[in-house]
Amino acid sequence: MNAPLFKQMLKINLKGISNYAFGSAFYILLMFWLYPGIAQNTGSLNELMLALPEGIVNAFGIQAGFGSMEAFISGEYYGLILPLLLSIFSIMLSTGLMARLVDQGSMAYLLSTPTSRRHIAATQASVLIAGLLLIIVVTTAAGFIGYAMFIGDRYEFNGSRFLLLNVIALMLFFAIGGISFFVSALSSDEKKALGISGVITFGMFGLDMLGKISESVQWLRFVSLFSLYRPSEIVRGGGDAVLALVILFLIGLAGFIAGVIAFSKRDLPL
Amino acid sequence: MDVSFTVNKGEVFGFLGPNGAGKSTTIRHIMGFMKPDHGNVSVKGLDTWTQQGTVQRYIGYLPGEIAFIEGMTGKAFLEFLASMQKVDSSDKRSHLIERLQFDVNTPIRKMSKGMKQKVGIVAAFMHDPELIILDEPTSGLDPLMQQTFIELVLEEKAKGTTFLMSSHSFPEIERTCDRAAIIKDGKVMTVKNIHELQSMQRKLVEIVFENTQDAETFVKSGAVPIDSQDGRRVTVAVQGNYNELIRETAKYPIRSLDITAQNLEDVFMHYYDRKEPVR
Repeated sequence: MNAPLFKQMLKINLKGISNYAFGSAFYILLMFWLYPGIAQNTGSLNELMLALPEGIVNAFGIQAGFGSMEAFISGEYYGLILPLLLSIFSIMLSTGLMARLVDQGSMAYLLSTPTSRRHIAATQASVLIAGLLLIIVVTTAAGFIGYAMFIGDRYEFNGSRFLLLNVIALMLFFAIGGISFFVSALSSDEKKALGISGVITFGMFGLDMLGKISESVQWLRFVSLFSLYRPSEIVRGGGDAVLALVILFLIGLAGFIAGVIAFSKRDLPL
Repeated sequence: MDVSFTVNKGEVFGFLGPNGAGKSTTIRHIMGFMKPDHGNVSVKGLDTWTQQGTVQRYIGYLPGEIAFIEGMTGKAFLEFLASMQKVDSSDKRSHLIERLQFDVNTPIRKMSKGMKQKVGIVAAFMHDPELIILDEPTSGLDPLMQQTFIELVLEEKAKGTTFLMSSHSFPEIERTCDRAAIIKDGKVMTVKNIHELQSMQRKLVEIVFENTQDAETFVKSGAVPIDSQDGRRVTVAVQGNYNELIRETAKYPIRSLDITAQNLEDVFMHYYDRKEPVR
């Protein structure tokens, strides 16, 4: 870790990170604000869900129903929009922190200072992790604030499950960030890094989606990291959250370490 | 690529060669950006590939293609770099900025080529490194600034700083360097001190005689090698034999005289053709 580099990189990327964080917080607040109106019609909404094909219900992650606040939020936000948002964020920032600096050449300046490549790569990785952490913390905080402001004691809300949901989301993107970081550390071309990380991340996202829609291709889900992240199960207290957390953490850690090592060993076209 | 040379402490070493000769590639190895297929580069006895991150403590670097981190001003970038160089260089920095005369508060994306070059020079010099590596340092600078740059190099040299610089501009090498290596196709053709190189440099002198008759006589005398003749205008190729030229020319009334130093590629072209690479 190199403190001046961390500070500088965070400063440069802070605007982007806060845009994601505030966008996410705003959406959560909106959902909490809308919930009381929807909760009054829970019965008819659940009936509507029964009328929908099961595959569709699974794909959008709304099988938890509308009965509780965290079930509603897991379907409406954590099931689709947040993963998309954080996927884009992880791919963009991991590419921007490594491959872009090599591609445009400013990495030469970082490497001309008495800082080893390992330290530089590890610092860049920690900027990505700090960014993800900030977005999730702001999002989680917005959830609790929204609950206090709009819900009060009127409806059910299991705070610890909501927290767990956020922790697993963070770990999922720790893993995806790790993979994207590894790709970025190996690339000398910004567009190529963006493309490869994008194909891997959205490929896994798509496979998970397909696996959820149709039972016949359910196996597709198991080649996807997204299968370890099942918001609707988490809020119902199902699934093995600890196992998912450990696997995601290990995959992410492996990605970041591999990225740091690969970067310190390769030829750089600077 | 097969390049071997030694730069002595306190000397200014020039690195000359046509485009694509391997100058920048050699510098990349010195900076530890690439792993040599065989052989090694060491600075102060430290291997630049295995000890990357440590060697850099002694090095100031100006890349050939300058790219700063986006979204910063020149001032912010230099301050950031200084904090990574771990040297308090604020005095030297402001002194250099004053010498090079540029507005340090300009955002990097609005900077011209010359201005980026100036920021790059400040970044390479400000932390008082023992060795400064410059890849084409004066490209983009106007003649006045090139002059200032040469003065800067000479001042640092007087303080004992070692330099390695690649260049296309012979006058710049001529005025600053002690020795220079000529590199072509990834091979060092020769390492010579600058006086030897000066005598090797071919210059074209264009002489306009008062009388066409004189021009004819001058050409026929054969005292100096003639490049071409067009009426009263004679072009002579000189390579070290300045005395003969002056003696011979002084015999006639001359209307005008013009010297064009050839660019480096032309200068050494015939050297390249003639000599086998030195081992």
